[in-house]
Amino acid sequence: MIELFSLASRQLTRKKLRVFLIVLGIAIGVAAVIGVTSLGEGIRVQAVEQIKASHDLTTIEVAAGVSEESVTLITNSKIMAIASDPHVSLVATYVTDSYVTQNNTYLAVKGIAAEYRQIHEEQLRVAQGRWFAEATGAPIEIVLGYDVARRLALVDDLGVGDEFVAKLRLYGEEGRPLDKQTVFKIVGVLESAGDEHDNQVFVDLVQAMALDEKDAYDGLVVKVADATFAKSVRERIESIGLSAHSAQDVIDEVNRLMVAVTLVLGFFSGISLIVGALMVINTMIISVYERTREIGLSKALGASDFDVMKLFLAECVIIGLVGGVLGDLLGIGFAVLIDLLGKPFLISALGGSIGANLETGSITIVTPAILAGGFAISLVLSVISGLYPARRAARLNPLDALRQL
Amino acid sequence: MTVETRGLSRHFQMGDQQVVALDRVDLKVEDGAFLSIVGPSGSGKSTLLHIIGCLDAPTAGEVYLKGSRVDYQNKKSLVLLRRHFLGFIFQAYNLIPALTAAENAEYPLYFTKERKSKSERKERALRLLTLVGLEHRAHHLPSELSGGELQRVAIARALANDPSLILADEPTGNLDSKTGKSILELLKRLSTEEGKTIIMVTHDFAAAQRIGAVVEILDGRIQDRI
Repeated sequence: MIELFSLASRQLTRKKLRVFLIVLGIAIGVAAVIGVTSLGEGIRVQAVEQIKASHDLTTIEVAAGVSEESVTLITNSKIMAIASDPHVSLVATYVTDSYVTQNNTYLAVKGIAAEYRQIHEEQLRVAQGRWFAEATGAPIEIVLGYDVARRLALVDDLGVGDEFVAKLRLYGEEGRPLDKQTVFKIVGVLESAGDEHDNQVFVDLVQAMALDEKDAYDGLVVKVADATFAKSVRERIESIGLSAHSAQDVIDEVNRLMVAVTLVLGFFSGISLIVGALMVINTMIISVYERTREIGLSKALGASDFDVMKLFLAECVIIGLVGGVLGDLLGIGFAVLIDLLGKPFLISALGGSIGANLETGSITIVTPAILAGGFAISLVLSVISGLYPARRAARLNPLDALRQL
Repeated sequence: MTVETRGLSRHFQMGDQQVVALDRVDLKVEDGAFLSIVGPSGSGKSTLLHIIGCLDAPTAGEVYLKGSRVDYQNKKSLVLLRRHFLGFIFQAYNLIPALTAAENAEYPLYFTKERKSKSERKERALRLLTLVGLEHRAHHLPSELSGGELQRVAIARALANDPSLILADEPTGNLDSKTGKSILELLKRLSTEEGKTIIMVTHDFAAAQRIGAVVEILDGRIQDRI
């Protein structure tokens, strides 16, 4: 085996320039694939990092599970099953209802308990007034999200301390709409949270459920002790028939998208590899012609067809190995170049927060897997390209080959 | 009996014409003999050598090497015969330009599949180069050697797999007469000292006669022994 490769390397060193050119051809192809792939990987990592920074990966949103045959409601037994998981630190139940004011302003009312406020501490900061008290009876105390508060002040002329009548639309047993009137008292307004909480109105969970007569919750927020447990907890929730969402969904989506984009780009940049492969095929065919006598001689001296094939394939393996190493090195250089030249362009083109985020990191990331992939491509490509010329050499008739000038 | 041919014929198709290169050749070569085949160009002497050397197949007839019939349909057995039983020397030396003299001499050992260590093989190549008087040129490339030296390396290479039968196709054809003579002396020495059977194709009738038995071949037929 070692002899085979030392023989092959002796043959290759006799035509250094030619070998250098093929190796370079393959290496450039590999480098192009590595550069593009590293760009895809870099952008993917940047995007995921941004999602991680702006989303809480330790919370899981749970809703009733809907399948084709049935609906799985969030009942107390289900909540017990979820809460019993040792990795779950908090379970916050809530209900959501739609109310309208007398001026027909729509209110998304969310009935929450203390756990919900604990989980969403950041988003639920009181800007004005105070939180509602529990079990007050009529008038029921509510806290307004930032945007709702502005709307109510504008349209209904309501503020902290005011009471107003709102209607809850329920449906009777025969399907007839049934409006239920309630008196709410605004006791507080929240700071802007920058998410859906700005458009919600918060009320004590027990009172909300007394009003809407529901016997199951509309949703749950599950907090796990650490983001690493999110997956297993989520699977457990889904296994009992409920549906679950988390920021991980977004990350998965971004990952899927970027992997697909990178694959497509990598595939097309891989076209340059075809050129490299053709060079190998061409050079090896020429080499077979040039060494026809040598092949005939080897056969006369006892080489089998397979021995001859191995001699030529060993040269391709060496070309592939050298091409792989050189391709990896060039690929790293290419990735650095993309980062240097491409980053300012991307930042100015994207602008805003995305651009600003890009400034800290690198837009290309060369991972060991990418390098290993580039190396493997070079090796496999060279050997596959060498198969036809090597087979051609192996099939030569020894006598005809020896007669060749 | 090292080599025997029975009714060996070889026909070539040249366009519409059939050329008879060998016509029912019967030949016997004893162990350790040095047989020269002489004849003009196109007489079929090289064809005979190639068929005995398992590089070409006869149209009719049989070849026996060491008493067993050569099966020309069985490619694998031909490879094994070439690998273990036969050694070749060519007019044009046919050394591999990328390899040194020692590496060329060692070359057949790459194919013998014997688990010989690298140092054992190197040692054998050097011993063979010493045998042909070229130990001082062992690490030179063919491009740095003279014609006589090249043929000596080729002879060392032909001995590498320790063959019983050495086939030489006009080994002195490219050499001046003085160098040619020394090559023939070397071959003669191999036959007597190493006990190799040698069949040599040559133009040089007089030189052949000095070494050993000679058969003449004319129009594909063996003439009476001279």
